[in-house]
Amino acid sequence: MTLFTRISNYWLCQIVGWVFVFISYVFFAYSFGIKLTSLLFIRMVFIVSVGLLITHILRWVIRQLNWLMQPIEKVLPKLLVAVIIASLTAALLVIALFDIVIGSSSQLDFASRLTIYLIDIGLFIVPWVLIYYFYHYITKSRRQQFDTLKLEAFVKELELKTIKAHINPHFIFNALNSIRALIDENPSRARNAITELSNILRSSMQTEKSETVPFEKELGIVKDYLALEHIRFEDRLEIEYLIDEDTLDQPVPPMMLQTLVENAIKHGIGKQEKGGMVKVISDFRGNYHEMIVQNSGSLNGHVNGDGFGLSSTKNRLHLLFGEKANFEITQYGGLVEAKVSIPIEQNKVT
Amino acid sequence: MIRAIIIDDERLARNELKKLLMDFPEIEIISEAANASEGVEQIENLNPELVFLDIQMPGKTGFDMLGELDKTPHVIFTTAYDEYALKAFEVNALDYLVKPVEPKRLADAIQKLHLQDEREPNHMNALNINRSILSEQDQVFVKDGERCWFVRLSDIRLFESVGNYAKVYFGPNKPLILKSLNALEERLDEKTFFRANRKHIVNLRLIDKVEPYFNGGLLLEMKGGEKIEVSRRQTVKFKEMMSL
Repeated sequence: MTLFTRISNYWLCQIVGWVFVFISYVFFAYSFGIKLTSLLFIRMVFIVSVGLLITHILRWVIRQLNWLMQPIEKVLPKLLVAVIIASLTAALLVIALFDIVIGSSSQLDFASRLTIYLIDIGLFIVPWVLIYYFYHYITKSRRQQFDTLKLEAFVKELELKTIKAHINPHFIFNALNSIRALIDENPSRARNAITELSNILRSSMQTEKSETVPFEKELGIVKDYLALEHIRFEDRLEIEYLIDEDTLDQPVPPMMLQTLVENAIKHGIGKQEKGGMVKVISDFRGNYHEMIVQNSGSLNGHVNGDGFGLSSTKNRLHLLFGEKANFEITQYGGLVEAKVSIPIEQNKVT
Repeated sequence: MIRAIIIDDERLARNELKKLLMDFPEIEIISEAANASEGVEQIENLNPELVFLDIQMPGKTGFDMLGELDKTPHVIFTTAYDEYALKAFEVNALDYLVKPVEPKRLADAIQKLHLQDEREPNHMNALNINRSILSEQDQVFVKDGERCWFVRLSDIRLFESVGNYAKVYFGPNKPLILKSLNALEERLDEKTFFRANRKHIVNLRLIDKVEPYFNGGLLLEMKGGEKIEVSRRQTVKFKEMMSL
C-alpha cells in the first residue's frame, strides 16, 4: 500500500508504457508467426530497458534545462535534436549490449543494423516525448485556470473594500457649500448639518473594520445623509420612511443602504428639474429582511445596474449572507425600486 | 458694470455666491436660474456679459446648455467636484471655481475678466444693434468628447457640413457641432463669412490664396491649408464682394 501510494505518476506511466511495448512486441511476433526465440526475447528486453533508461535521461535533461517552461516554438528545435541524439544513443547501446552479451552474429553490416534499431527505438521515443509534453501542457493550463480564478477572487475582495469606504466627493463638497450658506441664513440648522456630515464621514471610515452593523446604525447614517441632501435640494426632495421597528437590530452590510439611497438621489432626483421622492422601507417578508429604496424616475435602460455600486452590491451580499441573499432593481409606474433581501438567521441565539 | 447671471440648481449655492460677489461692486447680478432651460431663456432675453454656471444640474448639464447657445457670454464655471470637467478645463484653461468658493480665487477670476476686457475694449460694451447676427468678436462654446473650447468667431476659418452636423475648423482642432450649415449662414455676418459652396462656409479674413479653377470657379486656400472650391454661381458673388 505504502509502496503504491509512493509511486509517482511518472514511474507508473513509464512502467505501464514499456510493459505495454513489450507485450505488443510479443503479440506482433506471435500474430506474424515469427517464432519466439530466446534471441528475439533478449533483443526485446534490451530495447525496452534501454528505452526506459534513455527516456528517463531525456526527462532529466528536459527538466534540468527547464524546457517545459519555455515557449514551444523555441523548444521545438532543441527537442528535435535531443530526440535524435537519444534515439542514436539508444540504438548504439542496444547494438553494443547485443554484441557483448550474445556476440556478433548478425549477417547485416553495422550501418543497416544502426538504421533498423534507430527506427525501432525512435518509434517509441517520439510518442513518449509527445505524451510527456501533452501531460504537462494539460496540468499547466489547469493550474493557470486555477490561478486566474484565485486572482479574480482577490480582485473582487479588493473591489469590495474600496466600495465600502466610498463616499462621493461631489456630495461632500456640495454639502460643505450648502452649510456655508446656511451659517448666516439658519445657524442652528448649519450646526446640525455639520454633525450630520461628521457622522457620515466617521462611519465611512469605520466600515472597513466590521462586516455587518445593526440596521439601526445604518439607518442613522442614511437619515443624516438624506437630511443633508434635503438642505441642498430643499422642496425638490421629498423623503419618506417606512420602518418596521423589529428590523432595527438585524445585521446589514455597512454603507449598503447608504449607497442605494445615494444612487436614488444621483440618478433619480438629481436628474429631474422638478425633483422627486425617495422612500426608504425596511420590513420582514417570509424569512427575509427586506431593505427597499424607491425613488421617482425611470431606469432609462440602465437595467443591469452596471454601475460600480450596484453590481458590487450583489457580490457583497452573496459573500456575506450566501446565495439566498438577493439584490434587484426594478421599475414600475414612475418608480424605480432597489431591493435587498437578506435571509434571517434561523438558529440565532436570543 | 458687468451684468451677470447665476445659474445653479441649488438656492443656497446661488445665495452663497451672491454673498461673495457683494465684495465686487462692478458685478451686477441681474438674474438667477435654477436649471439649464431657464438659463438659456434668460441668457437669450437679458443678454448678460457674464454667467456663473454650475456644471452638474438636473436635466441638462452646464456644458449641454452652452452648446445650445448661438453665442456665449463670458462664463465662469462653478463645480463641487467633477474630475472629467476639471480635466477639460485644464486643457483649455477655461475659468472655473470649485465650491465652496475661495474669495481669493473669485477675485482672480474677476481680475482676469477685466484684463480680457482691456484687450478687447469693444467687446463688452458693444451695443449689438442687430442681435440675430453674430459679430466677429462673439464666442461660441464647442464641446467634442471630453474637450471643450470657447472659440471666437474671428478664429474660425471654416465650417464644413457633415450630415446634420457642422465641422468647425480653428487652430489645429476641428470638432463637430450640432448645427446645419444653413442655420449657421443665417446667423453669421456675411461681411466675414462666405458660403463658398453647398458644403462650406469660409472666413474671408483667413484666406491665404485665391486661384482660378475649372469652369470659371475659384479655389481658395485657407490659412490652415484646407483647399475649398467656390461654386460657379458663388464665384460671381465672391468677385463682386472683393472688387469693392
